[in-house]
Amino acid sequence: MSAIDTQIVAGESAILSVRNLAKSFGGLKAIDDVSFDAQPSEVTALIGPNGAGKTTVFNLVTNIMSRDAGRVMFAGRDLAGLSPVKIAGLGLIRTFQSARVFPGMTAVENVMVGCHRLARHSLPSQSLWLPGARDEERTLRRRAEEMLELVGLLPFAETHATELPMGAQKLLEVVRALMAQPKLLCLDEPAAGLNDTETQELANLLRAIRKLGIPVLVVEHNMSLVMNVADRIVVLDSGAIIATGTPAEVQGNSRVIEAYLGREGQGGQNHAVS
Amino acid sequence: MLEFIQIAIGGLVVGSIYAAIALGFSLVYRVTGAINLSQGGFALVSAMTGYTFAVAWGWPLVFAIPAAVLTTVVAGVALARFTFVPALSRLSNANVLMLTAGILTMIEGFSLVVWGSQPYATPPFSGEKPLAFGAILIPTQAFWVFGATALTIFALWFLIARTKLGKALRACAENPAAASLMGIDVPRMTLLSFGLATLIAAISGVIVAPTTSLQFDTGRLFTISGFVAAAIGGIASFPGAVIGGLFLGLVTQLSTAYISSLFSSAISLLILLVVLIWRPQGLIQAGVPRRQDTRDEVKAAGHAAKLPGHLGWPLAALAVIVAALIPFVVADNGIMSGLVIAAILFMALMGLDVLMGYAGQVSLGQAGFMAIGGYTSGYLAINHDIEPVLSILAGIGVSLACALVLSVVTLRLRGLYLALATLAFGLLVDSCAVGFLDITGGPSGLVGIPSFSFAGFTFASPRAMYYLVLALDVVILLGLFGAMRSGFGRALKAIRSDQMAAAALGVNVVRYKLAAFLISVTLASLAGSLYAFFFNFLAPEMVGTSRSLELVAMLIIGGESTLVGGLFGALLLTLLPVMFAPLAIYKTFASGALLVISFLHLPQGIYGALIQIITRLGGSRDVAAAKAGATNSQVQAS
Repeated sequence: MSAIDTQIVAGESAILSVRNLAKSFGGLKAIDDVSFDAQPSEVTALIGPNGAGKTTVFNLVTNIMSRDAGRVMFAGRDLAGLSPVKIAGLGLIRTFQSARVFPGMTAVENVMVGCHRLARHSLPSQSLWLPGARDEERTLRRRAEEMLELVGLLPFAETHATELPMGAQKLLEVVRALMAQPKLLCLDEPAAGLNDTETQELANLLRAIRKLGIPVLVVEHNMSLVMNVADRIVVLDSGAIIATGTPAEVQGNSRVIEAYLGREGQGGQNHAVS
Repeated sequence: MLEFIQIAIGGLVVGSIYAAIALGFSLVYRVTGAINLSQGGFALVSAMTGYTFAVAWGWPLVFAIPAAVLTTVVAGVALARFTFVPALSRLSNANVLMLTAGILTMIEGFSLVVWGSQPYATPPFSGEKPLAFGAILIPTQAFWVFGATALTIFALWFLIARTKLGKALRACAENPAAASLMGIDVPRMTLLSFGLATLIAAISGVIVAPTTSLQFDTGRLFTISGFVAAAIGGIASFPGAVIGGLFLGLVTQLSTAYISSLFSSAISLLILLVVLIWRPQGLIQAGVPRRQDTRDEVKAAGHAAKLPGHLGWPLAALAVIVAALIPFVVADNGIMSGLVIAAILFMALMGLDVLMGYAGQVSLGQAGFMAIGGYTSGYLAINHDIEPVLSILAGIGVSLACALVLSVVTLRLRGLYLALATLAFGLLVDSCAVGFLDITGGPSGLVGIPSFSFAGFTFASPRAMYYLVLALDVVILLGLFGAMRSGFGRALKAIRSDQMAAAALGVNVVRYKLAAFLISVTLASLAGSLYAFFFNFLAPEMVGTSRSLELVAMLIIGGESTLVGGLFGALLLTLLPVMFAPLAIYKTFASGALLVISFLHLPQGIYGALIQIITRLGGSRDVAAAKAGATNSQVQAS
C-alpha cells in the first residue's frame, strides 16, 4: 500500500476529501498537489494570504473550473465530470465571495430559492394549484421565515434583497445555502466586507450551524473569526498546503507565521494575524 | 461568366451599403457595448430627406445631399441625447437593444406620417447611362457607392487609430469605468459614437437611394441587413463588419439570381445561424474582446410591480366580470374585433413575459412562432378539413419542434447574441412564409381559413370569439400565475439575475430556460392559430418581425414580469388606432415612442404605475410600514 492509498482510506470517513488537486493558468501553477479532508460535524477553514489559491480550490471542488489533476470525493462519490447543478444536488452547497443575492427578489424569496433542490412540486402541479403544491409552498415559506429569524432578518422578509445592507446580504446568502439542507456547506469569504458587529453575528451563525451538525468548509481572511469557530485549519500559500491542524497548532507554526508576516528582516506583507 | 460578374458587381454595391451600416453597428457596440438598431432608420430618413430636397424642392444635388445628411445627423444626435445615452446607464444592454428597436419603430412611424406608404425613386447622381467595360455594364451610381464606402472606412479607421479622440473612444470601448476615471467624458463619447454611426448611415442612405426603391419601412431592411452583416463578420471588429457586409451582399445577390429571390434572405439568415452556432463572436474576432462576464445587476433586474396581497383576488374577479360584460356594452364591431385581437395577443404576451420578464431571455422572434402555428393550423384546416382544435395542436407541435431546434443555438447564448439569434429566426420564418408559396400562399397570404369551431359550434362572430379567447386567457393566466408565484417562477427569476448562483443552489439552469422558452412558444403558436381562425386569413406581415417588435413594445409598455401587464400594452396599441381611426397612421410612431418612454420613465410599465396609484389610494398600511421599517434599519446599519 502506497502512501496515497492509505490517505484515501483515511479520507473515507471524511465528508469531503480532496486529493492531489492541481491547476495551472498558463505557466503559473495556481494549485499544486493540494490534499485535505473536511470531517463531518466540523468546521474546516481554508486560510492563506491573498492569492494563495483558496477560492480557486473552491471553484475546482465545485467544478466551476476544471481541474488539471486530482480527485475530489464528496460523501463517498467522485465529483469528476459532474456539473455544478449536480454537485449542488448531492448536497454540496457553496456561497460566493461577493454576496450574490438575487436582485429583483425579496429576502424571503431569496431564501426560498435555497430549498429548490428539495422541492417535489414543479410546473404541472403548481400551475394547476394542486393542494400538495400549495402546502409545500406554505411549508417552504414558513421554513424560510424561520431561517430569517435565526439571523434576525425576519422583519425584512419582504424587503428587496439588494436593498439590504452588505452584512445582511451576506447573512442572507448563508441562510439561503443553509435552506438547501447541505451535507457540506462551503462558504467563500463570508466575512469579506463585514464590520465587527456583523462579523460577530456571522460567527454566532457559524457556531449555530455547527451545532446543527452541518459540516462547514470556509475560506476566510478574517483570522479572529477563523480562530474562533474553526475545528481544523488548512493553510494554503502559493497554491500549496503549508500546514494543517487545530487553531492552536496552526497559530504556533513557524511556516504559517512566515507566510503571513514575511521572513524576518524582509519587511514582508502587512497581513495582520489578529 | 459575364452574367456572374455582372451579378457579383451588383452584390458588391449592395454589400458596400451593408458594410457601411455594419460599421456603424460595430462602432457603437465597441464604444458602448450596446447594439443600436436605429441605424437603418437614419439611413432611410437621410435618403428620404435627400429626395424631398432634391426632387420635391428642386435643390441642386450638391446642396441637397449634404443638407440631408446634416439634418439627419442633427436629428439623430438630438434623439440619442435624450434616449440612447441616458438608457445606457439605466438599462441592461439587451434592453438598450430593444430601446433602439423602439427608436427604429418611431422613425418608421415618422416616415410613414411624413412620406406616406408609397415607394419613392431618386435619380442617380450622374445620369442613368451605365458605364460599359467591354460587355459589362456598371451603373454610375455604383462608383459613388464604392467611393463613399471606401472613404467612410478610411476616415473611420483614421479617426479611431490615429487621433486622440479615437484613443478616447477606444478607451471607452475597453473599460468605460477606467476611462471615466482618466477624465474621459464617457456619455459624450457615447453620443459621439452614436453621431458618427448616424453620419455613416446617413451618407450611405443618400448614396444608395438611387439604386433601390424607398419606402417608409425600408429602414428596417437596412438595419437588419447591416446587423446580420456585422454579426456574421464579428460585431466587435471593423474589418469584420466590412467583410461581413460584402459577403452578405454577394450571397444575397447570387442566391437571388441563381436560386430564388424568395429565399435569398432565408439563405443569409441560415448562414447567420450557422455562424452563431459555430463561432458566436463572428468570423473575425476583435483584438480586445468586450467583457461579457461582468454582471450589471442594478441594471438587470428592476423590482416588479406587485399588488398588495389582500387586493389581488377581488380586483382580479372584478376585472373578469367587467371583461365578461363588455360585449353587452360595446355595440361597435370594429372595437369588438380590436378587443379580440388584444386578447389573442395577450396570450402570446403572457408567454413572452415568462420568457423575457421572468427568465430574462430576450426574444425578438416571437411572432415567428405565431406564424408557424397560424400557417400550420390554417393549412391543415383548409386542405385537410382537420378539426380546428386538432390543427391548433398540430401547429403547437410543429412550433415546439422548431423551438427545440432553435434552442440548440439559443441555450448557449445570452443577451445580445440571444436577441440576434431570435431575430434571425423570426426573419427566417418571415422569408419562409413568403417563399413557400404552396403552403402559405406567399406574399398575398393564406385565404379561406374557416372560423374556429368546436363540438359543432362555430365561433364566427367577434363576440363569440371574444368569449372563447377570454376564457382561454383566464385559464392560462391562472395556470401561469400559479407557477410564477411558486418555485417555478422563483427559479426563473433566480436564473434571470444570476445563473451561476442559481446553479450552485441546484437550479437546473438549462432545463428551466428551456421550459420557459417552450411555454412561450406554445402560447405564441396558439395565439397565431386563433389569429388565423379569427381573420379567416393569414399574411406574412400579420405575424412578421414588426409583430415581434410590437409584442416586445406591448410587454414593456404594459409592465414586465407581472403576467397581466401585457394586457395593458395590447389594449393600448390595439384599441387606440381602432377608436381614433384618423389617428391610425400615427400608430407605428406611437408604439415606438411609447416603448422608448416606458423604458426610460416607466420601468414598471402601465401596470406598475396603476399599482402605485392603487396602493396609495388603498393606503395599504402594511406595505408602507414594511418600507419604513426597512429604511430605518438601513439607516441604523450604515
